Amino acid sequence: MTAFLQALASGLALGAIYGLIALGFNITYATTRTFNFGQGAFLVPGSLVGVSLVLLSVGKPHFGNLAPAEMTMTAYLLATLASTLIVGLIGIALYYCAIKPFVGVAGLNWVLSTIGFGIILQNTALAIWGPASIAVPSPLGSDVYRIAGAGIRPQEILVAVVAVAVMAGLDYVLRATKLGKALRAVAFNPQAASIVGINVEKIVIIAFVISSALAGLAGILIAPITTASVFIGMGVALKAFSAAILGGLTNPRGCMAGGFLLGLIEALVGLWRAEMREITIFLIIIVVLVVRPAGLFGTKTVEKI
Amino acid sequence: MRAPLHAAGLAAILGALALVPLLPINDFYLQILFTIGVNYLAAAGLNVLVGFAGQKSLGHAGLFAVGAYAAALANVDFGLPPWLSLVLAAAMGGLFGLVIAAPSVRVSGPSLAMVTIGFGIVVEKIVTEWTDLFKGQAGIYGIAAPSVMGKSFTNLHWVLFVGLLCVLTHLVLRSLLNGRYGRAFMAVQLAEPAAESVGISVVRAKTLAFVISAVTCALAGALVAQQNQYFNSDFITFNLSIFLLVVVIFGGSGSLYGPLFGSVILTLLDAWLARWPALQHFTYGALLLFALYLMPNGIAGALARLAPRSGGPMRPAITASAALSRGQTGTSAGGGPLLAVSGLYKAYGGIIPVKDVSFTISPGKVHALIGPNGAGKTTLINLISGHVPPDRGHILFAGAEIARMPAHRIAASGIARTFQNLKLFGHLSALDNVLIGAHLHVETGLGAALTGLPANRRAEAEAREEALALLSELGLGERAGDAASALPYGLQRRLEIARALATRPRLLLLDEPAAGLNPQETHELGAVIRRIQAAGITILLIEHHMDLVMGISDHVIVLDYGEKIAEGTPETIRRNPKVVAAYLGLEEGA
Repeated sequence: MTAFLQALASGLALGAIYGLIALGFNITYATTRTFNFGQGAFLVPGSLVGVSLVLLSVGKPHFGNLAPAEMTMTAYLLATLASTLIVGLIGIALYYCAIKPFVGVAGLNWVLSTIGFGIILQNTALAIWGPASIAVPSPLGSDVYRIAGAGIRPQEILVAVVAVAVMAGLDYVLRATKLGKALRAVAFNPQAASIVGINVEKIVIIAFVISSALAGLAGILIAPITTASVFIGMGVALKAFSAAILGGLTNPRGCMAGGFLLGLIEALVGLWRAEMREITIFLIIIVVLVVRPAGLFGTKTVEKI
Repeated sequence: MRAPLHAAGLAAILGALALVPLLPINDFYLQILFTIGVNYLAAAGLNVLVGFAGQKSLGHAGLFAVGAYAAALANVDFGLPPWLSLVLAAAMGGLFGLVIAAPSVRVSGPSLAMVTIGFGIVVEKIVTEWTDLFKGQAGIYGIAAPSVMGKSFTNLHWVLFVGLLCVLTHLVLRSLLNGRYGRAFMAVQLAEPAAESVGISVVRAKTLAFVISAVTCALAGALVAQQNQYFNSDFITFNLSIFLLVVVIFGGSGSLYGPLFGSVILTLLDAWLARWPALQHFTYGALLLFALYLMPNGIAGALARLAPRSGGPMRPAITASAALSRGQTGTSAGGGPLLAVSGLYKAYGGIIPVKDVSFTISPGKVHALIGPNGAGKTTLINLISGHVPPDRGHILFAGAEIARMPAHRIAASGIARTFQNLKLFGHLSALDNVLIGAHLHVETGLGAALTGLPANRRAEAEAREEALALLSELGLGERAGDAASALPYGLQRRLEIARALATRPRLLLLDEPAAGLNPQETHELGAVIRRIQAAGITILLIEHHMDLVMGISDHVIVLDYGEKIAEGTPETIRRNPKVVAAYLGLEEGA
């Protein structure tokens, strides 16, 4: 039972991370029918930039190990903001280099161009930080909380709380603000949106900035759980992509729900047999897509004949 | 590529292969040549799937693994001879091609990407974690290589063997893709509903493409395992799936020669940059990022733009009217109606575009279906052609129930159609569009198409003659070589009719064939429809041009809000108060 509760907690934390990144996929897919296939590489500067900023602030070189005391809540907060912002700005470069030339072009050239951008980003990070991983202490310390006998790591709670807050905030923005309306208008019909005076390209860039910033945020949030390294991104982003497809790429709430669902399945299967996690997850997804090709909460588009 | 040029190219490659043993090439270069060959094999099959059938797979590393492990285990665990293991590996590849096709053909776009990624990762995890059987990262040692005259393959043998396999694969795929199968794949990629409307089974076409790509990919994996004499799970990664896709797309997907360019250039680049791993990754990334921007259709596409397009005049030998009346086996047995629709009903939520509609179509006549916008006319056509399944009701065609049959089988039974929103195969030539229409009548089995037997060539030549004759009949003879999308709008509408006629229908459904035509073109269309009728083909036509409808129809059916409100001769319809009310918006009896 305690093992079950523990798995539940880490599943929710992991699911929140998947949900964050998946929401980013939804926002750009809705506006451009493309998304960043190299998103995994965006988690890398997310975690490493943040950690290095904390290291530099305590007078250490940008690559090294942090003492738990050096990771104060303020430092972590500032690092998180900086990471999110910087990776968000990388999103602008991503748009101009890898997306803009291919928007509206049939085929999957944008898949390869975004993967290419990711490879360059990852190798730039490799040149700066090297291949070794950095252990990142949590600002809440490493003592486990005991809830109903289950040991829950404080960082997991922090991750879940921050991710849920950000998701709720973005959900509000998408539904209730002028920016959200503009995003949805561009998603529905870019030509019509530009006729009513919406700067479509600006909206699309904002979409990529948000999507990239979410990946950056995910990177720094997950760093104290997984450690920070050049190689953490791929697996996480692949599962976030799975979460988006599972929930329904066209539905933002579906993407978030897909994230939690996937995180929980992963943690619970891990209880049974750790090596069966990926196999189970991807088999489930294949079966779900055969039954519901648009995902669990996606709306099926009927092609007009 | 023209035949003489192709023959010269083949001779050059075979000549180069023959020269390899005579040249002082060391093992390093032999290994590079071998890798080029293996990458070509995998990419050539994947190109059928990605470039022709339009199904982007991000999981072919899984199929590479199937081949490699099948060859390895067959030899090491079961003691089968290497040659047999190789054949077995290709067969296992084909089997797993079916396995991945089963879910893949049901989804498209990002969901297809997900299903294929999922397949690749499941295979990767299985071979990594199931160490009892697959030995995981430790790997399988001592995989025997095939031997010639009792001597095990040297690197030189490998290069020659793989080179010959590549040439063979190229010839087989070339024969397949230049004929009806290649056209069917393209049709599925460009417009699925249109492909179904000419009798192509989309599911079968996609499945075949998956199996072809799986066989070559598995073969590539098996060759690597045998040549290495060792294989472990580190070979099978998501990156391998991406790499194979890059070879295809960078080389030029949808071109027969794309995989050749892709495998040669990327393998050489890889080998040349291997000394500087960091630079290698940056180059790879930059290539992905910018190459497609500069060359959207890959290297093959860029080269094709440099070469002049050759297109000589094309003249049919058979007369046009003969082409029109092919496949007309007279009226349906017993002299009953050709089509009998009864109680047909379709609802989308609260909207009911077709509400308990019944009518009959007599053979040899022109029937018109009219009604205000939104009356349910196109939905009715979609129900008859099988593109949309009805909720209830019956459709009897020549006495046989066709309601709820898949569209491609309805097409095969003798119902052809055009689309209100044109669904031509855009960048293919007008001739190819009509040839795709003739899909069911190019009598070639898969075996004949793969081997390029004379029977196959004869069937292709006949189909071409007939297609050209149809194009002349519809006034498109001079434009046969032009891309469909380059034709003026009026001619595009006619091309859709030509494509539908190529299926040799008994019933032709025309959905607003005069939409967007000027009065002169509309008048000419009337004459075309009369000629089609004269050839014995029954017509059901949706149209808004009342001059056209009243001028050529024998029988008119009027729909309003999904219900049939009147039917009869053009004269009686013109005077029917209900019809007048529906069109002019008057209250009944006013």
